[in-house]
Amino acid sequence: MRTEVIIYIRVEEITPLHNMAACFTLASAVFRTALPGVLRLHSRTPGATGTTAGIRLFCVGAPEQKKAGIIESTEEYKFVERLIPPSRVPTPPKHAGPTPSGWIPPADSPPPLPYMIRRSRMHNIPVYTDLTHGNRKMTLVRKVEGDIWALEKDVKEYLMAVTGKDLPTQVNEVTMTLTVKGHFDKELKEWLATKGF
Amino acid sequence: YSQINYFNVLGFKAEIYFGSLEEVQLHSCFVVPSPAVIFNVINPALSPQFSSSFSSVNNLPPNLLLPSNLVDPDRLKRPPPSADCSLPLLRQCDAVVPAHLSPIHTWVESLEDVDSEPSGVAELHPDVFGVPPRLDILYDVEKWQRNFKRISHAHTKVRSEVRGGGRKPWKQKGSGRARHGSIRSPLWRGGGVSHGPRGPTSYYYMLPMKVRVQGLKVALSSKLTQEYLHIVDSLDIPTPDSQFLMDLIRQRHWGHSVLIVDVGEEFPENILQATANLKTVNIIPAIGLNVHSMLKHESVVLTLQAVKFLEEKLLWHDERFAPLYPFNLPYSDLP
Repeated sequence: MRTEVIIYIRVEEITPLHNMAACFTLASAVFRTALPGVLRLHSRTPGATGTTAGIRLFCVGAPEQKKAGIIESTEEYKFVERLIPPSRVPTPPKHAGPTPSGWIPPADSPPPLPYMIRRSRMHNIPVYTDLTHGNRKMTLVRKVEGDIWALEKDVKEYLMAVTGKDLPTQVNEVTMTLTVKGHFDKELKEWLATKGF
Repeated sequence: YSQINYFNVLGFKAEIYFGSLEEVQLHSCFVVPSPAVIFNVINPALSPQFSSSFSSVNNLPPNLLLPSNLVDPDRLKRPPPSADCSLPLLRQCDAVVPAHLSPIHTWVESLEDVDSEPSGVAELHPDVFGVPPRLDILYDVEKWQRNFKRISHAHTKVRSEVRGGGRKPWKQKGSGRARHGSIRSPLWRGGGVSHGPRGPTSYYYMLPMKVRVQGLKVALSSKLTQEYLHIVDSLDIPTPDSQFLMDLIRQRHWGHSVLIVDVGEEFPENILQATANLKTVNIIPAIGLNVHSMLKHESVVLTLQAVKFLEEKLLWHDERFAPLYPFNLPYSDLP
């Protein structure tokens, strides 16, 4: 059984164009005629037994590289590199107002309030709903900085205007979070977005 | 000051002031309302002259035990750099600082001379060096660091493992003695332990990566607010003498233990030799920075390169995706 080894040689030195053209025509000629063992360069090791290895050279190159052997090429690695994913969340492009999906970008300058609510790593407003014991609904506002009690006051006023009820709230000064009884994530997200957070 | 208490401390009448840290210069924008204790000795002329380790107050006995959270007045002498400082800005923040926060300014010193003045000002990112002081996170990370490596090898034998005790010692009825099934039951002397420790037990657990990162940030911020963080331009020392380092530390009131942090695998020979025989002054690479070491050493000294490295690594966690595959495998833009 014949085993054929194909050696792909990249010519590293600058070769004139006609030489390269000749090289490729030779390669195509070799491929079409399928002449085995036309050019044998170190094809057989002295210890090789049994199978004959036919080598096809696709590119001869410059005459001084006749006995070059295998040259590694790392330029094709760019096809692998472009598949490796990024690890950081990209910054969103500039939008003038709300996007078609409903995402509202934060204001360029922070609003002049005693508190600040940062965006999450995915650039969303950090208001989340929670459900425990099957029936206990809570809304959590995270990532608060500054005067959290002023935020609590404003949130209570706003939700009083929206619902008409004085809702119980919990301020956690250590983790700087605010919890409100009930599901009000949509209202609070719109309210915070209009404020510019 | 809110309160003044008088104490009799080993025969010396002393005033201890309790005040808030607002009256002490702070670097960060967050006010830490914890009490600060400032110690003042009245009537120094009447007290006998003792030699002591404090250079400022020479009248205290050497075996006086003082609480560790005492604020030494000498340490408060240099205020943080103001905006119109004449010294050059040696380092600006590489990462984007949020619009509602501003970079923190600190002095950049040098280790060349024992009493050299700061040679510049550096900017520190507020999301690494100015986070709120979360003591619960510090506690969790410190507890984790101590326990996740722990394997307790305590092991006792159960009644089935103790040698012997297969045969019933005497017949059930008629001997007049209590009934027993084996001589190695837990009731017997030499018997097995019924509910003892069983085998090597591992106390391994992992805190979430972000909690551990936040612990480092909180530790760095706490050191900065308490003026125990010092930035140095490089670790070049004129002599490999340990005494030089000790004199420098005592002169600058850096505390009784110092942790020196630099980036890279190679350090200057002089500082390696100087810290080799010292127990309380230690030098580590920046990847080895951990909460336990920062809490154990009173003062932390960072080089500018170490600050850049730490900011890059710690801020990456604020803007990264959840891992698609472990982070030790290649991603295109790991820090």
